[in-house]
Amino acid sequence: MILAVKPLDMTLMALADPTRRAILQRLSRGEARVTELAAPFPISLNSVSKHIRILERARLVRRRRAGREHLLSLEQQPLEEAAAWMAAQRNIWNARLDVLEALLEAEDAAASHRDPNP
Amino acid sequence: MSSNQTVTVKVTRRFKASPERVFDAWLDPAKARLFLFATPTGQVVRADIDARVGGRFLIVDRRDGDDVAHEGEYLEIVRPRRLIFTFGVPKYSKEYSRVTIDIVPAAGGCELTLSHEGVLAEYADKTPEGWGMIFDGLAKLL
Repeated sequence: MILAVKPLDMTLMALADPTRRAILQRLSRGEARVTELAAPFPISLNSVSKHIRILERARLVRRRRAGREHLLSLEQQPLEEAAAWMAAQRNIWNARLDVLEALLEAEDAAASHRDPNP
Repeated sequence: MSSNQTVTVKVTRRFKASPERVFDAWLDPAKARLFLFATPTGQVVRADIDARVGGRFLIVDRRDGDDVAHEGEYLEIVRPRRLIFTFGVPKYSKEYSRVTIDIVPAAGGCELTLSHEGVLAEYADKTPEGWGMIFDGLAKLL
């Protein structure tokens, strides 16, 4: 249980920051250099690098070297897992609401049975 | 990371029943034991509800002979519009999350919106756009 949740914690924590989400958005359009990623943000290259490291630890971003350059790309699997987990949580609540709905309808049916001309 | 960052799961449902009836079901032990925290294979063996602000609830679901307690505290009770409670399963986690239920009248009944915040502790974005944005983003990425 705990082992299953841990990588997901990392993913959600990584996704919790708007700068990191913007980085992922950019990477969803394709591989990029660190400097390219940093360009649109009004923060230092150093803090962008920090965000990238968090994304790498969460396995959301992969780094490869091409000569002297570091190229970053998006890793989709953790995102898919996070989306699946959110969907599962929603399903749990929907199932509870299904039961509540059935419960209230059963009450209505019982009431109209007792009083056929309400 | 600031402590107000959480993950929120949101669901909406239309009911063919008055806001009062839908609202009351959450605080009525006889009903709550049937839909709230009950599992198809489990059996709710205890449902205590102290329906006042600051009051607590305890719903115990027996699963394969294993008792799983769901507990929390009522933070806001505004019949029939709004109910807020904390919610935790101490057996699995020390963390408490927060459930907000909003009920508005709608044609033929009412509409309920449930927001479960902090489902996985303080890990993501609390702003309403937060998760919507992430998952809009996800939909585009995937």
